[in-house]
Amino acid sequence: MTRFWNVRDNADAIFATFLLIAVLALCVLVPLLWPIDPVRGTLTATFKPPLSVIGGELHPLGTDQLGRDLLSRLGLGTAISLSIVLAASVISVVLGTTLGMIAGYYRGWFDIIIMRAVDVQLAIPFILLILLIVAVIGPSMGNLVVVLGVTGWAVFARVARAKTLEIRELEYIDASRSIGLSNMVIIFRHVLPNIVGPITVLMTLDLPRLIILEASVGFLGLGVQPPTPTLGNLIGEGRSFILLANWLVLYPGLVIGALVIGCNLIGDWLVRRADSRNA
Amino acid sequence: MKTLSFITGRALQGLVVMFGVSAIVFFALFLTGDPAALMMPPEATREEIEAFRQAMGFNDPIWVQYGRFLASAVTGELGMSLRFQRPALDLLIERLPATALLAMTALVWSSLLGFLLGTIAAVRKNSAIDFAIRVISLLGQAIPVFWLALLLIIFFSLKMRWLPSSGIGSAWHLIMPSIALGAYYLSAITRLVRASLIEVLGENYIRTARAKGISSWRIIVHHALRNALIPVITVQGMYFASLLGGALVTEIIFAWPGIGRLAVEAIQNRDFPVVQAVVLFAAAVFVIVNFLVDLAYVWLNPRIRL
Repeated sequence: MTRFWNVRDNADAIFATFLLIAVLALCVLVPLLWPIDPVRGTLTATFKPPLSVIGGELHPLGTDQLGRDLLSRLGLGTAISLSIVLAASVISVVLGTTLGMIAGYYRGWFDIIIMRAVDVQLAIPFILLILLIVAVIGPSMGNLVVVLGVTGWAVFARVARAKTLEIRELEYIDASRSIGLSNMVIIFRHVLPNIVGPITVLMTLDLPRLIILEASVGFLGLGVQPPTPTLGNLIGEGRSFILLANWLVLYPGLVIGALVIGCNLIGDWLVRRADSRNA
Repeated sequence: MKTLSFITGRALQGLVVMFGVSAIVFFALFLTGDPAALMMPPEATREEIEAFRQAMGFNDPIWVQYGRFLASAVTGELGMSLRFQRPALDLLIERLPATALLAMTALVWSSLLGFLLGTIAAVRKNSAIDFAIRVISLLGQAIPVFWLALLLIIFFSLKMRWLPSSGIGSAWHLIMPSIALGAYYLSAITRLVRASLIEVLGENYIRTARAKGISSWRIIVHHALRNALIPVITVQGMYFASLLGGALVTEIIFAWPGIGRLAVEAIQNRDFPVVQAVVLFAAAVFVIVNFLVDLAYVWLNPRIRL
């Protein structure tokens, strides 16, 4: 345990935790505590730079083209983007892990179909497909969650299958079978607990992809529609005004960067820990 | 002989993938139940929608329609653009050179620099320069393409007035888009080369080469890099998809007249035949790239030559 707490070895994880806590604080505390409405604007106070005080109200990150407070929009936008990404990630993980375990456990035709479907899924330019489907069914939050979630299952299926292939050859699985446990019980009670670790690591490493994907969709104006803010549509809207108010794109981008760096560092750290334990 | 069956197997797999992609691209338009209403402008009358439905053959059984879609796709017929009243494939081919130029430029500079930085970082492992390179590659992977692009515009176009902020025409126009597009790739290559080279440099044959008195740079270039290349090549296919996603937003921001912008504009204008064509085309390129990666893998790595 002493090695675990060695600050030098875990500096990256500590830094990442700090970043993630900062972002979480922003998206939890600002919508709850910050008194300025994220959607109501003051047309006499447009494009005020960060730290402006207007009518006794402080705008720490300035205001946008409609005089709305950027801090409150950024807080709400981060919360919305993060909810979409996390919900989508859960869908991907559950779907992918279940299909992957079943494919790896039963083998046969189901395995073949699933693995070919993984190839198809990984061969489609995700973003185009997502844009296409969202354009067809409409850009609501729920639709985005489902589309991002359903298009992300493939990597989880691949890893869950590979792990299940290893585990199914182990003696305790034979033993479970010989005492008459059903296949479903074996898969969910005896295989699943052993692949939760690698799947969690993969989920952490997959989150940055989802964060940037959701932001890109929002940036292109095809995600959740304004005036509801998201990290992507804040930058997309601010883009038209970079000459006047570059803070409108600067701060949302910093939040995205902090989220992605945080997840990447934590993911790498988890991989390193798993490696050193196996070594 | 086994190498041959590996290659044919991969080729067949590519065909299966294309088949699957075609199905998704086709059935996506039926998600709302009525593709005719989807494709017509909101102000279209019921009669107009009905006439359009008839003209597009949306009244036929869905499997007949899919069969027709597949048959024409195989012969290179990818439907008509609703907006331009021209074959979608023609539009795509017109836009191809711009995207190819942008993607190639981005790939070339980022691969070269990525190899250089990755090698330096691996050779000077755990030094200050290694740390700096790792921070750069971490940032490169964390910054969204569109954000980096806007920062570049703010600095180089608006503040310094050095580079044109959009359009195509001169080499100057190419600089910012290719930097924005290549940054992620640069980080990925740097990280991969570093990790892979560190592993190779620890191998016995490298120690043997050192013991024989071969100079360090010769060892790195002739012995280590060649083997470090294998994992780098293997993941190229995976990065291709993110390159395309990056090209979409890069082209939008810099008003670059390529396929990405064609696709996004088509989606915004509900010009779905063009979107279908772009997705199919991108998937085909992706499949071909992955196939070439497999070939390169076999060629580079005699150990897996079966």
